[in-house]
Amino acid sequence: MKYETVIGLEVHVELATKSKIFCSCSAEFGGEQNDHVCPACAGMPGMLPIVNKKVVDLGMTAGMMLNCDINRVTTFDKKSYYYPDLPNAYQTTQWFAPICVNGRVDIETSNGPKSIRIKQIHMEEDAGKLVHDDWTDTTLVDFNRTSVPLIEIVSQPDISSAEEAIAYLERLRDLLRFAKVSDCRWEQGSMRCDVNLSVRPVGSDKLGVRSEMKNMNSLSAISRAIKYEIARHTKAVENGETLIQDTRRWDDNEGKSYAMRSKETAGDYRYFPDPNIMPVVIDDEWFDGIKATLPELPEVKRAKYIDELGLSEYDADQLVSSRALCDVFEDAVAVCGSAKEAANWIITDCMQVLNKKKMTADMLDINGTSLGQLIKLVSEDKVSRGNAKRILAAMFENHIADVEAYAKEFGFIVSNDTSAIEAIVKEAIASDPKSVADFKAGKEKALMALFGKCMKQLKGNANPQVLREILIAEINKA
Amino acid sequence: MDIKTLERLQKLNQLKLTEEETEKLMAFFETAGKDAEILDTVNTENVERMVYVMPMTNIIREDIAKKLFTRDQLQEQAPEAMDGYWQVPRLVD
Repeated sequence: MKYETVIGLEVHVELATKSKIFCSCSAEFGGEQNDHVCPACAGMPGMLPIVNKKVVDLGMTAGMMLNCDINRVTTFDKKSYYYPDLPNAYQTTQWFAPICVNGRVDIETSNGPKSIRIKQIHMEEDAGKLVHDDWTDTTLVDFNRTSVPLIEIVSQPDISSAEEAIAYLERLRDLLRFAKVSDCRWEQGSMRCDVNLSVRPVGSDKLGVRSEMKNMNSLSAISRAIKYEIARHTKAVENGETLIQDTRRWDDNEGKSYAMRSKETAGDYRYFPDPNIMPVVIDDEWFDGIKATLPELPEVKRAKYIDELGLSEYDADQLVSSRALCDVFEDAVAVCGSAKEAANWIITDCMQVLNKKKMTADMLDINGTSLGQLIKLVSEDKVSRGNAKRILAAMFENHIADVEAYAKEFGFIVSNDTSAIEAIVKEAIASDPKSVADFKAGKEKALMALFGKCMKQLKGNANPQVLREILIAEINKA
Repeated sequence: MDIKTLERLQKLNQLKLTEEETEKLMAFFETAGKDAEILDTVNTENVERMVYVMPMTNIIREDIAKKLFTRDQLQEQAPEAMDGYWQVPRLVD
């Protein structure tokens, strides 16, 4: 008998907010233990949650990027939970009226295009961190991550292989990063995935017994875990064994999954509406405002960069790998008018600075308009390329609104004063008769030595062509 | 309420009831069940479920991070704390 795999994914994404979902504590990753904590997220009695508007904004943005319907009246519910990393003994989440429903993500695999339906997206709070201390035989609790805002994106069981799962997750990550919903960093836990998987005979409309693997945080681990589970389920079904619906832990080093506990059913969570959080009503103004901020999809931008702006496929791919690069690029082109130049400056020079700082492309935070001004100054021969790189490095430290004024202030403007150049050239010739003689004897290289000396004296601020001409003229006179 | 349901609720709520407490609770659920039966007789057709007593919506705030308390202030009343962590009995799953 032939079998097919049925996979549904639950993806948790930490939202790009400054503060937590129900209190004003910082939502930043890291920090000393319990440094981002207040009475509300520490679960002290009498504290009331107040919803962070940005969480709703980003929840809606995610829904729109994933073709969902937005529930215009959305509410929060309590889900029973008994671990101390959520001190209220419940998790505040959405069950009865989640913010988004009925979406779709289109993927490409070796079998061609496919649509994966989204069941819902709901907003909820993250749990804190537990550290087990063997010395005192106790558990230590850090509430920094408690109440950091998450969305959970629940797919329908439309995925049938590891390849499709990975294609879906990569597409999800691209769309959410592009819309600035989240930085989606697997390694920092800002994107995590639960895999629900079952196997059934081909053609059967009844789902097999399902297992759930929790909190997977790398694509390679997810792919390996899915392949392992498919083999485990298929073998059990073929041997007529009874599978138990359970929650499993994937051990990536061993390449095996282990049963953790038998799975709760929805009833076990005893969801009920949180009467302390009033319904959130999204009116047309709010809805349209968010819709207006949606970015063009990466593939639309890519086509535009190639067809309208004449970039190579390579350059376009590099730029659309990150929304931050696209934003800087488009602002720069609007000022300097040269797409090719702007792309080069971003892909080569900006990336070089980012790499040095051990930052990713998404962290590019310079002003595109300023970069455009800089590129223009170089193309007009007002600033040398070498000095332009120095100005670019300064842009990473401070916002420079008027690049020409900055270049003037710090002496980076190319001098058109030929008398100043002539004076320096004469000095160089007088101090290095050997190079002059060598050049006259036909050694081209000797000219470069003199050229370098003069350019150094001029702090790079001379038009190379003009300097060369004056140098040759003066040597001939000497 | 039968004893099996109560046992299940105990497990879900991570409670361990004594025999005496179990008897007391069974009696309570018995009465509560009868009260619920009375409520069930009320005709609620076309009546919308009421969750929120106050007619309020959109109690929301802007995304601004503030630090209003220090860790020491918060842990002043903690039964147990260690190295800046809250300390709780060891967790076994």
